[in-house]
Amino acid sequence: MFKSIMAWVDERLPITEVIKSQAIEYPTPKNLNYWWNFGSLALMVLIIQLVSGIFLAMHYKPDAKLAFDAVEHIMRDVNWGWLLRYMHATGATFFFIAVYIHILRGMYYGSHRSPREILWWIGVIIFFLLMATAFMGYVLPWGQMSFWGAAVITNLMSAIPVIGEDLVVWVWGGFSVGDPTLNRFFALHFLLPFVVIGAVGVHVWALHAVHSNNPEGIDLEHKDTIPFHPYYTIKDLYGMGVFLILFCVFVFFAPNFFLEPDNYIQADPMKTPAHIVPEWYFLPFYAILRSIDFLGQMSKLVGVIAMGAAIAILFVLPFLDRSPVRSFRYRPISSKLFWIFVVDCFVLGWVGYNPADAVVLGSLPIVYVGRAATAVYFSYFFLLWFITVFKIERPLPVPKSL
Amino acid sequence: MKLLRIIQAALCVLLLLPFSVGVSLASSGGPALPQQSWGFHGPFGQFDTAALKRGAQVVVEVCLACHSLKYIKFDQLKQVGFTEMEVNALASTAGKNRKDALLSAMDADAAKESFGIVPPDLSLMTKARKGYENYLYGILTGYLKDEDKAAVDRALEDDTVSDAEVKELAMLLSMDPHHPDKIREVARRIKSGDNFNKFFPGNFFAMPAPLAADGQVTYRDGTHGSIAQMSHDAVTFLAWAAEPTMADRKSAGIKVILYLIVLTVMLYAVKRRIWARIHH
Repeated sequence: MFKSIMAWVDERLPITEVIKSQAIEYPTPKNLNYWWNFGSLALMVLIIQLVSGIFLAMHYKPDAKLAFDAVEHIMRDVNWGWLLRYMHATGATFFFIAVYIHILRGMYYGSHRSPREILWWIGVIIFFLLMATAFMGYVLPWGQMSFWGAAVITNLMSAIPVIGEDLVVWVWGGFSVGDPTLNRFFALHFLLPFVVIGAVGVHVWALHAVHSNNPEGIDLEHKDTIPFHPYYTIKDLYGMGVFLILFCVFVFFAPNFFLEPDNYIQADPMKTPAHIVPEWYFLPFYAILRSIDFLGQMSKLVGVIAMGAAIAILFVLPFLDRSPVRSFRYRPISSKLFWIFVVDCFVLGWVGYNPADAVVLGSLPIVYVGRAATAVYFSYFFLLWFITVFKIERPLPVPKSL
Repeated sequence: MKLLRIIQAALCVLLLLPFSVGVSLASSGGPALPQQSWGFHGPFGQFDTAALKRGAQVVVEVCLACHSLKYIKFDQLKQVGFTEMEVNALASTAGKNRKDALLSAMDADAAKESFGIVPPDLSLMTKARKGYENYLYGILTGYLKDEDKAAVDRALEDDTVSDAEVKELAMLLSMDPHHPDKIREVARRIKSGDNFNKFFPGNFFAMPAPLAADGQVTYRDGTHGSIAQMSHDAVTFLAWAAEPTMADRKSAGIKVILYLIVLTVMLYAVKRRIWARIHH
């Protein structure tokens, strides 16, 4: 019965064929390590965010007078509402954990190198979309940090010459962040995840066209691949189990760990919090923005450009790296630069978390640390190009096959 | 490779920064908050009904004079073990009935006239301040005792505060003795009647000590109402009010995580079994 129905469908839409070739027999490198789990983990978190988000939207009210109370209504009165909200808030954090590891894995093993540039670009676009979505989502509870975070970040657009000031007013829908801003952010926060889904579809399509890279960074022969199912279905499921345990520890036992206490105070346009901090996943970029403070009137604009460039530079990464070898396993200098880069991101995050006028180590203004760390951040990309284009780095011998 | 060495050295410096600095930053932010033990913390911690009943009494008899808890209704206290009679008794002390929310009798305009600001709603207070429960406990217990106030007055008797007196006051007020001018200024404000609190950022605010005397609240269960006891109970109640669903969350969490651990162990076993077929 089922077989005949499927035969009828397959004649018209080859579902069986696609599943078989793309999800079951799909040839996958047999040497992928656990860092390759983070793509499927990001997809899992995306689904968690979509489902919890849609149910939250059923109880939320995007109105400056009602939003804060609506969130407390969800927390207190809606059945399992606290679970929806804590899953969604913690989900944002875990989404970025998964995505950051996923990106860094690609950078370490050369997954952005030819022929995977388009796959990589779509990934960077997804990253951009996620940041926009997360930023607007954080505004919706309409707490103090929501409001002032939104004010600080949207205000950055005023740095754009000529049209900046008008652009900000247009985005706000008024002369300050207010009810119209909240309304449109809600609409966009609802829309963008579906754009992300589309982009993820293209990301997977591009992946299946060029196939997975692997820790050796070499092109594999057919004998070194295994079918996706059952090998990677089970490995991904196991990874999801581990990831979900961690996720649930935070959801159920430390749900406010990543949230600022200030956001449990209703937004008050008349009262600026002592210290405005963005969510942790924006901190490195926020630090880069604030590190450019020595150019007088141009500081703001250059800071914004630097912050944008910090992400946009990922687009050209496939062309900066000129080494004949993809994987950093065989690249002694690049791999060390890579770890410096990773540590530098944490330093930037820490700088971003502290007040801009903080003084550290007795008498060192933190902004100097921020400037140094910003320089290190961009140096990574320059040095990667430099040591490969002038062949300063001598890669170790790479195996021809597994 | 020399380049690499330089980078490594730079990296070490950058790496060490956060650790050395965390300490210096932490020590510059006023006195450390009292670290109370809260029975409802931790994955298995639940609210103690007796403490909640005492806390509810403190909050309704004292805090509610000026503050509201707009998200809580008296009736909800049945969820944490209050009987209907206890709920009614509590509501009637506030001149309300059990269907009402815990709203202050003082209206916003009157409050603004007396205090300069509208007292903030307390429903979310334990979640809305850095330091959480310990901060609130610190605020409730961080006012000057009468003998401390007398010491400040004594120091100002001759209208000047000598350096020796500055040192004494620095201890008393938990302030940095290296800023004598600031201490002199603070002492003058205390004498003029401003509300000093050790743990409030900036030290002065609109709220006079709400729990000023031992036995201010006569507990129905006979517990002695010391200031520490009343503060601890009130904060316990406010923590419940900030998240009445905490008990559900933790009991669900334990089940969910146990289930996930069993599932994940089984998935791992299956994974090992399937991957055993591959020769590395």
